[in-house]
Amino acid sequence: MSNATANPSVSDEKDKKGETMSGRVIVITSGKGGVGKTTTNANIGTALARAGKKVVMIDTDLGLRNLDLLLGLENRIVYTIVDVVEERCKLKQALVKDKKNPNLCLLAAAQTRDKTAVTEEQLKSICEELKKDFDFILVDCPAGIEQGFQNAVAGASEAIVVTTPEMSAVRDADRIIGLLESKEEIKSYRLLLNRVRPNLIKSNDMMSVDDVVDILSAQLIGIIPEDTGIITSTNKGEPIVNDEKSLAGQAYNNVARRIIGEDVPFLNLEEGKGIVARVKKFFSNLVGKEK
Amino acid sequence: MKDIFADFYNKVLGFFRQSEKKENAKDVACNRLRVVLMQDRTNLTPELMERMRKELIELLSRYVEMDKEALELNFEQEGDQMALMLSIPVLRAREESEIEKELAALDAEKAKKEEEAAAEEDVEKREETSQDGETQEEIIEIVEAEPVDKAETSEGKPSDEEKVVIEEEIVISEPENEKEPKIEITD
Ligand SMILES: Nc1ncnc2c1ncn2[C@@H]1O[C@H](COP(=O)(O)OP(=O)(O)OP(=O)(O)O)[C@@H](O)[C@H]1O
Ligand SMILES: [Mg+2]
Repeated sequence: MSNATANPSVSDEKDKKGETMSGRVIVITSGKGGVGKTTTNANIGTALARAGKKVVMIDTDLGLRNLDLLLGLENRIVYTIVDVVEERCKLKQALVKDKKNPNLCLLAAAQTRDKTAVTEEQLKSICEELKKDFDFILVDCPAGIEQGFQNAVAGASEAIVVTTPEMSAVRDADRIIGLLESKEEIKSYRLLLNRVRPNLIKSNDMMSVDDVVDILSAQLIGIIPEDTGIITSTNKGEPIVNDEKSLAGQAYNNVARRIIGEDVPFLNLEEGKGIVARVKKFFSNLVGKEK
Repeated sequence: MKDIFADFYNKVLGFFRQSEKKENAKDVACNRLRVVLMQDRTNLTPELMERMRKELIELLSRYVEMDKEALELNFEQEGDQMALMLSIPVLRAREESEIEKELAALDAEKAKKEEEAAAEEDVEKREETSQDGETQEEIIEIVEAEPVDKAETSEGKPSDEEKVVIEEEIVISEPENEKEPKIEITD
């Protein structure tokens, strides 16, 4: 919310019409590493941009930058977030435009520096500045709950917690949720369940979507299937949402639409069995037990 | 009565010793995860859990003779409430006279402590009036030394020599940070 505006009714008007932008800052976090934060960032960012939104992605994983690779932008990076805070360039100069979509930008992490190169305050003010020009600011968070996490969360008011249906990932997600709940600036968070394998769920070898949602008592924003296409798309530097036939791509597209506010039913990963579409019935019987 | 015990017993076994039945990987994962998250969320370190276990043993031993090694203390999810499940294999019920003797001894000890505390408090007060404040903390300590509630004896005494498991369920409300999701991201 722009607290700079004196008259609240005026700011409401502007929000509706989207004239003076006050973008939403969403941090994508997980606790456990390697569960798909960066993949999620690249795909949601691309999907939102394809839907006509102005999107900037911030890679805060200093020293381990990857978002540029997933977007195929690694050769275009001149300045990084560290150059911005150390005032070697203006913020706008450091924003790298996507190859295909002019609505999409990246603020890259520095590969040669560590987490201490940027502070919470600096990230906050970068986010504040970007809010004026973008609809969405997606912050790619490093793994863990240390300073890198604190930095990434600092400027955000919403969070997407990425997890997989594995015990350790769910446990870490629970930890992250606890931390997010203690942060006043974070107004809401939702759960994205990645690498779901319907076959394993069907054979009762893996926790089902409802199990995880139930255990974490968190609201769901998306279910992404395990998809080898994600690996090939990463290799090509081309987010999978660009491939309309891919199931994971569709799932990510749906997440983007839910973020925008559309009511999109969850993909039916187990064909014809009508599972997981019940967003609001979190505490109902566990569907996975049915079959 | 026996049925109730047997029922409880089976429930606990079902929950914590899944390996006996043939459980699928998913259920094992869910149950293990629930237990570990309960512990994560309570901020009870293993040391504190151990201390709670010891204190419970001390308390309950006054009433029943039990297999101290086999006492199990675990968290369990009950809807949106957290439950602390205590399972105690009882070796032998104690004689009434035995229990009363213990309790009398305990009461005597408590009374003595209270007297001491009162006496100390008197001293404190006198000191306080002479020194003007500064003794706040100590007074609080005395308040904490108040006698513990008398524990209720579990209903239905198991017959002698029979090994029965008593179930106690202590329901704790969720810790401060309720796990209810906050406002939705959209809207
Ligand atoms: N749904 C999926 N199906 C198949 N592979 C996936 C899926 N999601 C992610 N992966 C793979 O998992 C790996 C880790 O993904 P990613 O880098 O997005 O995770 P991360 O959470 O950002 O990791 P880090 O904690 O290291 O930053 C990548 O190799 C990615 O291709
Ligand atoms: Mg990453």
